[in-house]
This record gives sequence, structure tokens and C-alpha cells, in this order.
Amino acid sequence: METIAREILANDIIQQWRIYKRDEWDDQKGIGMNIPRVALNNIPQVGTFPIKSDDELKRLSAERNLALHESDIPVIRRYFLQKDVLLKRKAVGLDLPTDVELEYISQARSDHCNHNTFSGLFRYHDIATNHKEIIDNLFKTCIEQPTLEIKEKKDWVISVLWDNAGVGRFDEDYYYVITGETHNSPSNMEAYGGAITGIVGIYRDPLGTGRGSKLIQGTYGFCVGPRDYAGELKPHLHPRRLLDGVIEGVRDGGNKSGIPTPFGQVIFDQSYMGKCLVFVTAMGIMPATVDGKSSHLKKANPGDMIVMCGGRVGKDGIHGVTAASETYSETTPAGHVQIGDPYTQKKMHDFLLEARDEGLIEFITDNGGGGLSSSVGESARWSNGCHVDLEKVPLKYEGLDPWEIWVSESQERMTVAVRPDNIDRFLVLSARHAVESTVIGQYNNSGYLHLAFNKKTCAYVHMDLLKSSFPQWEFDAEWIPPSSRGLKEPLWDEPDDQGYLVKSILKRPNICAKNWIQRQYDHEVQGGSVIKPLVGKGQDMVSDAAVVRPILGVLKGIAITQSINPFYSLIDTYHMAAVTIDEAVRRLIAVGGDPAHIGGVDNFCWPTIIHDPTKNPDGRYKAAQLVRACWALRDYTLAFEIPLLSGKDSMYTDGEVKGPSGMTQKISGLPTLQFTATTLVKDIRRCVTMEVKIAGDLVYILGKTGDELGASEYYQMMNWIGLNVPRVDAEKVISLYHALYQAIQEGLVASCHAVGRGGLGVHLALSAIGGNLGMDIDLRSVPVQERLSNTRILYSESAGRFIVTIDPKKRGAFEETMDGLDYACIGRVSDTDTLQVLGVNGEIIINEKIGDLKDIWKEPFGGLV
Amino acid sequence: MRTVKALVLTGYGLNCDYETDFSLKMAGAASERVHINELISCGGRGASVSLGDYHILVLGGGFSWADDHGAGVIMAARLRYNIGEEIEEFIREGKLVIGICNGFQALVNLGLLPGFDGDYRSREIALTYNDSGNFVDTWVRLRTREDTVCIFTKGISYIELPVRHGEGKFYASREIIDRLIEKDQVVLQYADREGNPAEGRWPFNPNGSLYDIGGICDSTGRIFGLMPHPEAYNHYTNHPDWVMKREELARRGKGIEGEEGEGVAIFRNAVEYVRENL
Repeated sequence: METIAREILANDIIQQWRIYKRDEWDDQKGIGMNIPRVALNNIPQVGTFPIKSDDELKRLSAERNLALHESDIPVIRRYFLQKDVLLKRKAVGLDLPTDVELEYISQARSDHCNHNTFSGLFRYHDIATNHKEIIDNLFKTCIEQPTLEIKEKKDWVISVLWDNAGVGRFDEDYYYVITGETHNSPSNMEAYGGAITGIVGIYRDPLGTGRGSKLIQGTYGFCVGPRDYAGELKPHLHPRRLLDGVIEGVRDGGNKSGIPTPFGQVIFDQSYMGKCLVFVTAMGIMPATVDGKSSHLKKANPGDMIVMCGGRVGKDGIHGVTAASETYSETTPAGHVQIGDPYTQKKMHDFLLEARDEGLIEFITDNGGGGLSSSVGESARWSNGCHVDLEKVPLKYEGLDPWEIWVSESQERMTVAVRPDNIDRFLVLSARHAVESTVIGQYNNSGYLHLAFNKKTCAYVHMDLLKSSFPQWEFDAEWIPPSSRGLKEPLWDEPDDQGYLVKSILKRPNICAKNWIQRQYDHEVQGGSVIKPLVGKGQDMVSDAAVVRPILGVLKGIAITQSINPFYSLIDTYHMAAVTIDEAVRRLIAVGGDPAHIGGVDNFCWPTIIHDPTKNPDGRYKAAQLVRACWALRDYTLAFEIPLLSGKDSMYTDGEVKGPSGMTQKISGLPTLQFTATTLVKDIRRCVTMEVKIAGDLVYILGKTGDELGASEYYQMMNWIGLNVPRVDAEKVISLYHALYQAIQEGLVASCHAVGRGGLGVHLALSAIGGNLGMDIDLRSVPVQERLSNTRILYSESAGRFIVTIDPKKRGAFEETMDGLDYACIGRVSDTDTLQVLGVNGEIIINEKIGDLKDIWKEPFGGLV
Repeated sequence: MRTVKALVLTGYGLNCDYETDFSLKMAGAASERVHINELISCGGRGASVSLGDYHILVLGGGFSWADDHGAGVIMAARLRYNIGEEIEEFIREGKLVIGICNGFQALVNLGLLPGFDGDYRSREIALTYNDSGNFVDTWVRLRTREDTVCIFTKGISYIELPVRHGEGKFYASREIIDRLIEKDQVVLQYADREGNPAEGRWPFNPNGSLYDIGGICDSTGRIFGLMPHPEAYNHYTNHPDWVMKREELARRGKGIEGEEGEGVAIFRNAVEYVRENL
């Protein structure tokens, strides 16, 4: 009974249980009223720490869960031992570094905040070719430089690489704002709380971008273990429970905020049982000018008041940032899990937008990772100093130590800089909206971050310390090409029953319908839904992308989509990233998005790349995988001219899980990149959906199919990896994409669908199922790179392809638009209710009822609502 | 032509205010988004907006007070306690009230609905958890009862709209439902593909509502509550089948006529009623 309660019913991190005997139970009272109260019985105090040696500080870091990187320790010690520093500290009553100071430095230097990994130095070595290369800073070379180069060409890119989110131009009057994050570690411990905190947290980023934007949509991506996992591993939460929790968390976070969630994906794989991945993305919109100035500009000036708005501060969420920078284990601090409150935040959101419109906001940023430590610490760089009285910070309960107040990640809080002459109006408006706002200090140009608690200084750190020369992290990266890893193509004959094969793939968890998830998300609030997450006759087919109209009354729209393809990482992360970017681009084009206006958000989730002979013996290989993925990001964002409007990296997607006989196993998640792409839709009335529309329409394939089944869904079903991973020929596909965009704008296209995981076999079936119509297809007409067998044509996952249907009357015009490109008419939409496919020898290889295919596709999760 | 003034409540977790305001403007109203605290004197500060200056009061969708004490419960209590008299005066003057989703939940908790014969204080109806136990976003077909006294649905016999709720199951005693039918206060019923009542069948009836009820009005027809969201069908592109429809029309050499979504008609009826009667 105790075991059932502890392991199946409750999550001991956040829940309590009590077992009642039958005669103890009182129907009237039930479990009674249980009001959780926090009584800390702690008299707040400031601790100081001796720093006689590096080792001592290192030990301290471990004891206090500071997660300081070893190479940072001497720099920190050196600072506190400097003579002039000691003198100045003495003047404010300080000597040894305080806990507040060390926590501040630790938060700011954490990989989560500082992206030390991406800024690192990589010594890349291809062991097959002996090619060696030094990459000084992946962020600079693969993200920053390409994006700045593209920004030069695209005048719609307004603001990138510095604020909480990137900013692009929507039209003359409005800018849009986009960013994406992950919330893996907290969700892995407490799925609901982690996920809701993730989505509500990401919503604060657009709100804290420029002088504040209104949230217009959010999206999600979940990577979890198989829902029906019945093996011997015992993760903290079973994948099914974990998935249920994250679905609900993102649902409540979005729905209760009044923000539509029109797109999302789920990937099942056992490698995510060490740590699940929860991606959350948010978009906002703001007027192009606020108070006569471009709205993306903001600055905290000396003299501005530091105001904390929204929720209060408690012990929740302490050390979230530093825990996210570590591998999940039983000792991960449970205090870093928290449960977001979208209601409090919604009130704050509405209030801050009004304050913005009245011109009351000079600077705004959110309190996310690192709490006030990050938000005040970073905003004070604009003024070059600040003074904060920590006792003024409103608390949920008494007894917090000053360092806890400073780094607590209690949610639903924003930090705002308000001019002294505006502060009264700001506070009146805040009260009108029933939002708590408190002046906790003032920005200045003293050059110091100065914190006091009850008039006594508890931190006094030079603003330049964090800019100063912390040593760059260094990594050895060793690439072993796939053929050297023993990967090869299988020697398989053609199957006898292609119909059985297509049905077997349609019901696989990563292909089959997941309507029960999409339906739980309000995707219509705000009244601008144009292309919904579910489309087709039965409103149950997954759309390539979502389109919303953010400004009602304007016929312009925003398309958004995402792509995650971790399986190709098994062969080569370079092509994994390339295919992922290409797929996201195609999905936008498929609904009518403008290929010249695409912005991207890269979210990396990578297992630890720090080599350790016992704990992480393949760290060097994982580091090379990261380098290669970044190279693809650089190459393809440049080729497609996609500025990276935002992005984040989340390292350490490993976990320790109890296995058979109670031993602990380390599981590393597949190297994963979620690529979010967004673009403008010039006229929403031209949008296209993926389902076939009318019997008699011609079916076209755009793009060439090659022998590229490596890491495909088909091979995976057969427990094979393979070698021939799909590759993207950017130059070739770009002209195709522009031509297709043209055809859609001219109204020549009845349906359009990007061919993705599962290949033509799966996606022809899905297009037909969506339209509830049959299809007659002849594989002999499919454009191929070389002669291919039926199975290869049907299940190759070559990039750059679309399925398009058109009205036969428009054939001439359509083919004229596509002239000179790889395309072919491969059949017709029929009213026979059957998917019929002729093979390369002209024989019927598939003849399946659409209704049966649909039932099979919907069956695996069909019972869930 | 006289100005028809509409007040759309905002704040405390309400969230459909922008599109509701937009739809009302499309329908010809001078609509304003007004924070609840501007309408009720809260915490000793006087109200800065007077309900009496408006003709149409809109309680829109959202999660007022996070729905923590039941959907719409606290909003109802706040309104009743602070401006209960003003609301009843508003109704006596022959003005209009519409509650959508969370607003409908608030209206039944306020007792403005069912509003039998001028009784605007009795709580007789619950909008409770969907039979599925979960929040659902889906488009539904709705038939309007021919005999309804509701002024909002004049000229509308059938409409498709989205529902988006976790607590939308209409529940009342048999007696109350009979009385609603008898008084012609049942306005909208969830319907199947042919437009017949769903008779409880999922997914046509998305939440298990008794008698397929999706919307009701008071005895005067001037107070209307509904779970579906007319403001979310403000443009034809909101409808899930619009691309299909465009394609079918194109084959006949035609295009979709007019930009407006069908949900706006409900607000237009309200505006026209005010113009003609007040």
C-alpha cells in the first residue's frame, strides 16, 4: 500500500500522502482541510566564506550547490583578494565574500545563463580523415556572425542577439517578437509544475522584450520515453505519467493566460527516459513605436527606480539555473521545482501593456532563471550600477536569507525601470489591475552592484567583474564518421505486402494521431486563428504549420512551425540539423508562408560534452556532434537566409535511472535540435492546407527522392540504423520553394504538404486521409535521383519534397511556374475511397481503403481525450 | 444614427476582450474594454466608469480569478456585491447582457440566468465539468430554437462556432429545463451534421450538456449566455473548413463573399436591437 502511494500515486517531491484504515475514514470530513503553511523559523542572516585556497572555494561550491565551474574559481578568488577591492569593501563594511555575492556570481556564470559551452573553444578532430580544426566560439561563428550577415540584407530584422527575444517587423505599425526555451530538468522531476513554469516563464520573455509585447501564441515540443514503456528501467516518473503532466502543464499555462497554443509536437524515444525534453516557444506583438521611439529600444538610466512587479518571493525555485546545468540525479535540489500561476501573470501582463502604452516603462525584463540576481544584475549594466534594499522585496513568508531573496526564482515577476516622475502613476495603474508592484531600489552609475539588507551591505561587486576575463571553456571534439562506427545499409529484399507495411508505419507512436493532445490546447483565443493545428475534413489531421492573424482587421498573418528530427543524429548531427531546418522551412511554405521573410529559433538539447574517462567516456564524440550540428545551422541559415531571432542551448540532457537489480544507469538523450521557423503570410486568404480537396485533382511531387533511408522511420521499425542519411541541397531546393510560393500566391494550389518522417508512403496516405478521398498513384512517375525500389521510393526521407494537388484546369499555369525544377505529376485524387499505388513495374502494390488507413492511424491513442 | 455603447469587461484573468471588442465594433457598436475595477469601486477607490452609460454589457471568456473556486463564481460574487443594484437597474432599463463561456458561467452564478420572470437572483443552473473530464477546443454545430425569445439570434437558425472549455456541461433539474423550454428560453442546442439535436452524442455535443443546451436567455430574451465563442468567428478564415470552401467555390468560378465571420451576426443583432428599442 505504501509502495503504491509512494511510487504510483504520488510524486514525493511535491506531494504528501496518508493511508487511512477503513474505520478511520470519515465520509463527511474526507481528508479534512490541509492548508500548507510555511514556517521557516529562520532569522535571516548573511554568511561569509573563507577563500584561502581554490580547493576551499571548490568544496564550498559543491556544498552550497553553486555549480561553479572549476576554471572560474581562481578568477573569483583573485577578485576578492585584490587590494583595492578589499579597501573598497571595507568602506561599505564588507570583508570576505558573502553568500549573496557568491550566489550572484554563480548564477550569472552558470552555463544556463552564460552559455559557456557554446562560447567555448573546440578542438575538432575527424579521426577518419585526420582533419583538425580549432573552433573558437560556436556561438560567435555559427549563430552570431551568420545572423548579423543576414540582418544586413533583411531590413525587417529589427533586433537580435541581445534582448530576451528577437524582434522582426510585422508591418509598418507593428513588430513581432519570438523566443524559445526548454524546461527539461524541472519537468523531469515534477512534470506538471515543470512544464507550466516553462510555458508561463517563456511568456515573460516577449513581455520583457523591448518595452513589452503582448503575447499572441505559444507552441510546445515534448520528447519523452515510450508512453507504453514496460521495460526494466525505473525513471523517477514513468513516461506516461510524465507526458500527462507536461501536457497538462503547458495546457493550463497557455489556456489560462488567454494565449493560443496552435502548434506542437511529441517525439517518443527511450533515450529521453534519463531526462525528458520540454520545449516552449512564445511569440508576441508590439506597436512599432512607443512614446515616439522604436519599441525595441530600452535602457535603465541612473536615477530610475527598480520596481519588482507581480508575484512574491519564496523559497521556490532556488538553484533552478544551476541545477539545469547539471545531470539529473537523486540529489538535484527539489526546491528548484515550482508551480507556475498563469492567473497572476495574466493580470501583470495586462497591466504592463497599459503601462507601456502610457510611456511609463524605461526598461523591462523578466525574473526567470536566477531571479532578481539576473534581472537586476543585467539591467544595471545599462546604467552601470544599482542599489537594492533586499528587505523591501515582498515575501511569501518570513525567514528567507538575503541570498535566497536575491536568487529565488519565484515566478510571475518582472523587473521594470521607471522614471521617478512616473512612479506614482505606475503604482496607481498597478493597483487598478490588482498587481503588486514594489520599488526595491534604484539604478545608478556607481559602477557597483550594491545590495543591502536592513541597511547593512550584503553585496558589493564591481559591475565589470562578470564582463572580465573568465577563462573560456575548452573541449576536445572527436568525430568518428558513421561508416567508421560500423553503420551500413541493410541487405533486404522487397516485402511482399506493401499495404501491411504502410499500415505498420502509420500506427507507430511518432507517426500516429495525437489528437487528444492538440484538442486540449485553446488554439483560437484572441480570435485570429487562420490555419489550425488540426485540419482536414475530420479536423483531425496535423497541419504543416499554424497561421494566426495577430492584428484583427489586418489581412496579414504570421505562420509558425517547428521541426525535431533527433533520429538522424544516430548517423550524423550535421545532416540532422540540416534536415530539421529544411523541414521547418518547407512546412511554412506549405501553408503559404513567405520564404523571404523566415526567422528562426534554435533550441539545442545536448547530452554532456565534457569528457570524463569514467562518467562520460564518449564526451569528445558528443562534442563533435555539437560542432557538426552548429556547422549545419550556420550553413543552412545562411543558405536559406534565416536570421536566428532567438535561441537557447540546454546541455546536460542526461539522467541517472534505476535499472534492473537496482543498479543505476546513465541515459543520454539523443542530440536534439528543435528548429522553430516563423514567417509572414502576406494575405491570409491565400493560405493552403495539407488535405487533398477534390476528386479528379492532379497529384504532384516536388523535389527528388533519393536512396536516403538512413535513420528513417522504416529502418527504425526494423531495428536498423543504416548509413544514407538524408542530405539537403540548399541551392536546388531554394528555387523550388520560391516557385511553389509563387504558385500558391497565384491560387494554383489546392493542397500542399511537406513530406517528412515516414516518407512518401506515409505522407501520401495522410494527405488522402485528411481529404477523406482516394488517390491513384504511379511510383514510376516519381522524380528520383537514381533507380529505386518501391520500398525505397515510399520510405526514403529525402528532404526538399512536397505533395501538391491542383485543379486539372490549372495544370498549364502550374507547370509553367515550376518549369525547369524537379517535379512530376504522379497521379490523381479519386472518389474511390482507396489509396491505390502502382509500383515501379506497373503492378498494384498498395490498395487500401482510406477509412481503414485512418482508423489505423488514429487507433494507438484513439481512446484518449 | 445613435451610438450604441458596449462595455467589454477585462482584468482578473478574463481573456477574450480584444476579439470581443473587435467583433462588436464590426457590428457597429462603440465598444470599450473596461477593467472590472474601473466598474466596481474596489478597495475604497471610486469607480471611474458607470454601467448606466452603456447599452450592452459583455462578460467574455477567460478564467476569471483563475476559476479557482469554480468557473465564474468569484466574478459573480464580486459583481453582485459591488454593482448588483446597477446591473438589475441596467436590465430594468431594457438593456442587453451577453455572457460568453466564462461570462456565461458568471451569469448563471449571478442568477441573471435563467432569469425567470424578472427573478435575477436565483442560482438554478450549473455549468460543470465536461463529461470527458478535460478541456476541449473544437468547433460545434448549433441549431437555434425557432421559438426562442432571444434577441441575439434573430435570423440565425444554424451556426458553427468553436467551444473551448473544461467546464461547459449545462446541468439543471428536469423542472428547470422544462421551464426553460416552456418559456422559449433555450436558444442554442448542439447539433449533428444534419442540424438535428445532438442528443448527447459526442463529439457533436462536446461536453455532455443536458438537452444539448449550448446557450439560454432570460424570459425577456435580452440576457444571453452561451458556451461557444461567437467572437472567435469574426472572419471567414476562422472557420476550420474555409480553405475547402474556397476551393469548391473556385471550381464554380466563384469566391467567398464578404469577409465577415458568421459569429458577428450575434453582436449585430444586439446593436440593432438597441438602435430600434432604446
